[in-house]
Parts: sequence; C-alpha cells; structure tokens
Amino acid sequence: MINLSGVGKRYPTGVVALQDVSLRIERGEFVFLVGPTGSGKSTVLKLIQRIERPTAGRVEVDGLDLCSLPDSQVPLLRRGLGVVFQEFKLLSDRSVADNVAFALRVTETDPVEVAPRVQWALETVGMVHRADDLPARLSGGEQQRVCLARAIVARPRIVLADEPTGNLDPEAAWEIMQLLSAVNLRGTTVVMTTHNNTLVDVLRRRVVELHAGRVMRDESRGLYQTAR
Amino acid sequence: MSLEGSIKQPADAADARRVLLARGWPWVRGQALRDAIGGLRRNGLMAAAATTTIAIALMVAGGGVLASVNLAHLASVLESQVEIVGFIQRDLTPQQQHRVLAAARDLPGVRSAELVGRAEALRRLQKTYGSLASVGSHLKTNPLPDSIEVRASGPGQVRAVAAALERIAGVQDVLYGTPVVDRLVALTRAVRITGAVVAGALFAAALLIVLNTIRLTIAARRQEIEIMTLVGATPGFIRGPFVLEGVLQGAAAALAATAVLVAAYVYLAVQIAGSLPFLPVLESSAALPGALAVVWLLGIAVGIAGSEIGIRRYLRP
Repeated sequence: MINLSGVGKRYPTGVVALQDVSLRIERGEFVFLVGPTGSGKSTVLKLIQRIERPTAGRVEVDGLDLCSLPDSQVPLLRRGLGVVFQEFKLLSDRSVADNVAFALRVTETDPVEVAPRVQWALETVGMVHRADDLPARLSGGEQQRVCLARAIVARPRIVLADEPTGNLDPEAAWEIMQLLSAVNLRGTTVVMTTHNNTLVDVLRRRVVELHAGRVMRDESRGLYQTAR
Repeated sequence: MSLEGSIKQPADAADARRVLLARGWPWVRGQALRDAIGGLRRNGLMAAAATTTIAIALMVAGGGVLASVNLAHLASVLESQVEIVGFIQRDLTPQQQHRVLAAARDLPGVRSAELVGRAEALRRLQKTYGSLASVGSHLKTNPLPDSIEVRASGPGQVRAVAAALERIAGVQDVLYGTPVVDRLVALTRAVRITGAVVAGALFAAALLIVLNTIRLTIAARRQEIEIMTLVGATPGFIRGPFVLEGVLQGAAAALAATAVLVAAYVYLAVQIAGSLPFLPVLESSAALPGALAVVWLLGIAVGIAGSEIGIRRYLRP
C-alpha cells in the first residue's frame, strides 16, 4: 500500500530529514511513527502526500510511483488520503458540518452525496449534535473529532495523522485513539506520528522509530521505547 | 447509517481523470460563482478594503488618462493654429489663382488651404487692429495682395510645406512664424511625452497596489487553500472562485471609479470653461469613453492578475 525504498530527503536549506529509509506498510495496517522532534516523522507523511519529493529512493502509494507522478495527478492521489492535523486546521468561519462537507465539495463530489456522507462521518465521530456549531465553541477534543470526520468523509484508503493527540488532554486523546482504531478496523490504513508513549504502549501496534532521519526500530507489536 | 462501499474511489489515475472530466468544469455548473460570492461575503472586510483600494487606484489612473488626453488635445489645438501664408502675384487671373490653390492643396503635409482675397485681408486687418478701422477710406487702392492660407497637418511639416509652397509658380512670397513653430514643436512633444509618462506611472502604481492588496486577501485565506490542496482539490477548482472574486472586486471598483470620474470631470469642465475660457477642454463625450474603458479593463485585468499571482504560490503540488 505504502512503500518507501532507500528514501533520502535533503531540504534546500541543507537539512537532511531522511537517510536511506525503507518502509513497507500493508493495506489495513496501523503504524505508529515515533522518535524525537526532527527525526523525520512528519517528512515521511509529507512524502506520502507528495507535499515533498524524495531526493533519493522511491516512494510508492497504492501502486503509484510518486516520484514520476505528474503534478496534474497529485489531487487524485490526495483524494485517497485523509489527513488529521495536530492543530486541527478547521475553518473558523464555517460550521462543523460545513467544515466536513468542505472536503467533499472542493473535490467535486456529486452534491446529492454530500449531506448523507457528512451525516455518516459526524455520526462516526459522535459529533452530529454539534453539526451547526462553529469550531470556536468546541473543546480541543471535539475539534479533533471534527478534523477526523473531515479526514474520513471521502472514505480514503489511508489516514495520515500528524500528532493528532498533541494538543489534547489524556481523556480526549484516548477518544481520538479509539476513533482511529475504529477507522482502522474498517480496513483503512492508519499512519500516525506521536510522542504519546502511553497510547503506543497500551495499543501495542506496529511501531517504527526514527532517529536522525533513519529507521532505528520496526516492531510489529511494539512499545514507545524498547527496554534498553 | 453506513456508506461502506458506496463511495467509489477511482481505480487508477486514468479512471480518476475520466471521472473528473465527466463531472465537468466547476464554473460550468455555477459552483465557482457561488463559491466566489460566498468567499466575498465571508471575508467582507478584507474584500471591502481591497475593492476600495482598487477603486482609488482606478480613479488615479483614470484621472491620469483624462489629464493626458486633455494635454494631447491642447497640443493639437496649438498645432492647428500654425498657419502659412503664401502671397500671390498681383497679375494672376482668378483662374490662375485657383490653379495655384489646387497645387497648394495637393502638396504633401497640407491639411487645408484657402484663398483669401485682398478685400477680405483688409477687412481682417481692420477687425484685428481696431485703430485701423478707417484706413480703407484714406487709401485709393487696397495695397494688400491676394494670398493662400495653408495649414499643415502638424508643426513638423510646416517648414517643408512652406518651401514647397514657395516653389509653386504664381506664389511670390511665403510667411510663417519660424521661431514660434520651432518652439511649438518642442512644446507639444514635451506635453505628449509628459502625459504618457504620467499616465504610465499612475497605471504602474495602481497595478502594484492592487496586486499587493489582492495578494494579502488571499494570504489571509491560506489555510482554506491549504486544506483544499491537501484533500485533493484540483488547482483549477481552487483558482476558479478566487479569480472570479478578483473579477467581481475589479468590476465593483471600476463602477465606483466611473461614478466619481464622470461627476468630477463634468464639474471641472464646466468650471474651467467658466474661469479659463482660453484653455481648450475636451467635451465629456469625447474624453470619458476612452478613459472609462481603460478603468474597466484595468479593474478587471488587475482583479484577475492579482488573484492569479496571489494564489499561484499556494498551488504548487
């Protein structure tokens, strides 16, 4: 589903974010990317979305070689990806329902499909009762649930979550993890970067640890840190 | 309620492209216009600030065009007043005089030529110099010769026309104000260049201000654009509403500038005609259409260009 082979990434500033990273993620997997700040976790997510291109190696998503993918095809790649951000990135001047519908409307989804899909996504994350509220009236956990609804509303095959619990209290973080697990159980591949050791240690999913741009550890039912 | 499996994902890129093409361009379905109006409504304050800036810039540019066309008009009025007089030999018959006139009219660079009989010349002299009003009664014969008054098509042609006129058989002598003509040529050239430079500078300033203003309004909405690109909106889809917003803002600004420029020009033309009657001012119907065409074209063009330039930096995949 996602295949990085020998990937290197050096930014124009000279910063080396990734070095010889090889990583294969199969359909339906749940993968935690862990590691200290600056270890290259977010760069991996950017490569998968073709926000960045590798400076060495190959990145394949769903059989597409992202290095040779024409720019015109990038929107189509992204329609198969749902993204959850640490800082939510909800549009403050639109209601919860409009924020979720936004992802469908701007990808030219048939208008008759929009309302039922939004309803389904909000039901999935338990936010139907706040559909008409503006994001500013929601708690951090609720805003992140709306962000997750927006990520899954187009039924992507892959959900990428960049520190989705970074701004949340433990209870809200746990709710988001349960929702992401539910999404994964339906067959969606989930790749999540995190610094939250408790969540990683409780869930015991595949853990890929990056350090200074290299894969240091790849365990199928790993912990946040290895017993050293 | 479940939509599991009901949402079709394109099987591959080619399939996805077919899906996109089958759905048609967003603006064909009117969605871009709805989004553009929605965008203006949601960002009312920024949109109003941008539209006001464009309107002021258009008024300045439109004012520059009006000043420029009036300077050009002044130059052409001054030019049209340069006159060459060719005196005709006294012994020519009226038929011969008309042949001379026809030859003068055929000269290159001649706008008009007319015969002025000696009686008419004396009458004009008496009219111009009131103290000579009674001179006719003291003279036995009219001492003035018949003449041809020639106007060149521009002050640059005066010398050549005068020289050619002098070579026509039957023309005795040619008069024209050499130093005046030379100064007028220099003056009208300076006026035209100044007018073009002023209009060009105002145009460039207006363009820069407007482009920057629209760029700022788009920068304020970069999160919206970022989300669009990340969820897979095509660049054309993202661009459409923003460019339409630019067109609507440019048109609204042009409308405001039109109202102000028309009112100001009509008022000033009346004032100048009253207090400075020697200064030729173009009629509103002659000056305004061209200037307003520039205002509307400029308004809509900078609206489109500003949006396009402002959004381009956010559309790199």
